Amino acid sequence: MKNKVLNYVLAIATIVSFVLYVIFVRDAEFTLDRLITTYSSLLLTGFGNTILVSLITLVGSLLFGFILYLLSISKIPYFVAVVDVFTEVIYGTPLLVMIVLMAFLIGPAFRNFNRPVMGTLGLILYISPYMKNVYQSSFSSISKDQYMAMDLFGFTPIQRYRYLIIPQVIRVLMPPLMNNFSLIIKGSALLYVLAFPELYYVINVAQSQTFLFVEGYMLLWMMYLLITIPLSQFTKWIERALRT
Amino acid sequence: MKLSIKNLTHTYDTDVCKNLQFELEGYNSIAIIGASGSGKSTLLRLLSGLEKPTKGSLVVNDYAVDDEVYRKKIGFVFQQHNLFPHLTLERNISLILEKTRGVDPIEAKRIALESLALVQLSDQTYKLPKNVSGGQAQRASIARAFALNPDLIFLDEPTSSLDPVLTYEVLSAVKDLKKLGKSFVFVTHVMSFVKEFADYVIFMDQGNIIEHGLPTILTFPKSKELQFFISHIM
Repeated sequence: MKNKVLNYVLAIATIVSFVLYVIFVRDAEFTLDRLITTYSSLLLTGFGNTILVSLITLVGSLLFGFILYLLSISKIPYFVAVVDVFTEVIYGTPLLVMIVLMAFLIGPAFRNFNRPVMGTLGLILYISPYMKNVYQSSFSSISKDQYMAMDLFGFTPIQRYRYLIIPQVIRVLMPPLMNNFSLIIKGSALLYVLAFPELYYVINVAQSQTFLFVEGYMLLWMMYLLITIPLSQFTKWIERALRT
Repeated sequence: MKLSIKNLTHTYDTDVCKNLQFELEGYNSIAIIGASGSGKSTLLRLLSGLEKPTKGSLVVNDYAVDDEVYRKKIGFVFQQHNLFPHLTLERNISLILEKTRGVDPIEAKRIALESLALVQLSDQTYKLPKNVSGGQAQRASIARAFALNPDLIFLDEPTSSLDPVLTYEVLSAVKDLKKLGKSFVFVTHVMSFVKEFADYVIFMDQGNIIEHGLPTILTFPKSKELQFFISHIM
């Protein structure tokens, strides 16, 4: 255990020293102070907005992805086809295009001119097929024989999900879910094209006013890590908690 | 035990059971044997109601096999133990008793422990299936079938994934349970077990019941197919 912690500390130290070395060689003037002190409230707003949009997208895509999953296993071939076509279209669409189309074309067509909302909706639609895949692979991790056993013993559908399917699926579901969440967080940066003040946008503002480009990107990077690392630790913790 | 099979056909891509007709009464340990792909496992699943036949009817002990009452009177041991992987051996048994048979949790646990003791697994009670050997998991699966107090237990090649030592271990557990007065229908490739344990043998080939009778048919096979099968398996 002690050894494990030590190895992690060493690994982190390695990366930090590499970064410090690069900064030292490239830019002796490097300082984050000015950015942080001058733009602290703006940065906080951006940070908060990124988290907010990401959480909304996470919940939305979990729900919509589940609907897509249910449709994909539906007995009505039309629904299966719709999901297939939608998935293929999304796979081939750049997220940036998706967001722009949602905010400037699809939204106005339905008399919705709220660009951040339409942009977030675009994110949700974009991530949902990936969520559908997560559900598909997780649920297929339960063998046909297990379903047979559930039948044989006479579990009701609710009991099956509550005691047998969900407890097994959730463990398989966590790692790819985490992958998708980091996809969402990084994807939310593209909302900057809608002038929505998320993290990337506010950093951009700060950079263009101070010309501290390297520092700006450094800060952006660190702030994303500040979201993703605790989150990935949290999912690992959930996985462990469910295992026992 | 009483079996009645009428006009039974079951099809996956091809017919795996071809218009079977079969009546039997009075035997308590029936072995279904045959080469791989002969339809024996399918017949076992059909008899247990796990699969619905494409055509025809199956009646066991005067119950249609899709009868809910029949469901509660049978146990099934799968080829690979098929325990729920996220539950301990004890919980694999007690959860079923609690949720599907309405047994109260303390009693369910007591039955689970007792059943595991019957198959010599008292020291593995709280382990997950992945943390015990294949033979132990298969024995736990037998204990699970047994704990529900079925009249009739189906065994689908319970030793096919096990080495000879574990096979012996599992089959001994089955023999111990026979003493408790249960009926069995089983599919296996272990002919010594069939000779010793079965009181009736059904031989299948390519979806047909070719020959059936007392275990002596293994020593004096009449049909070409059974002669061929025995000469290749012994």
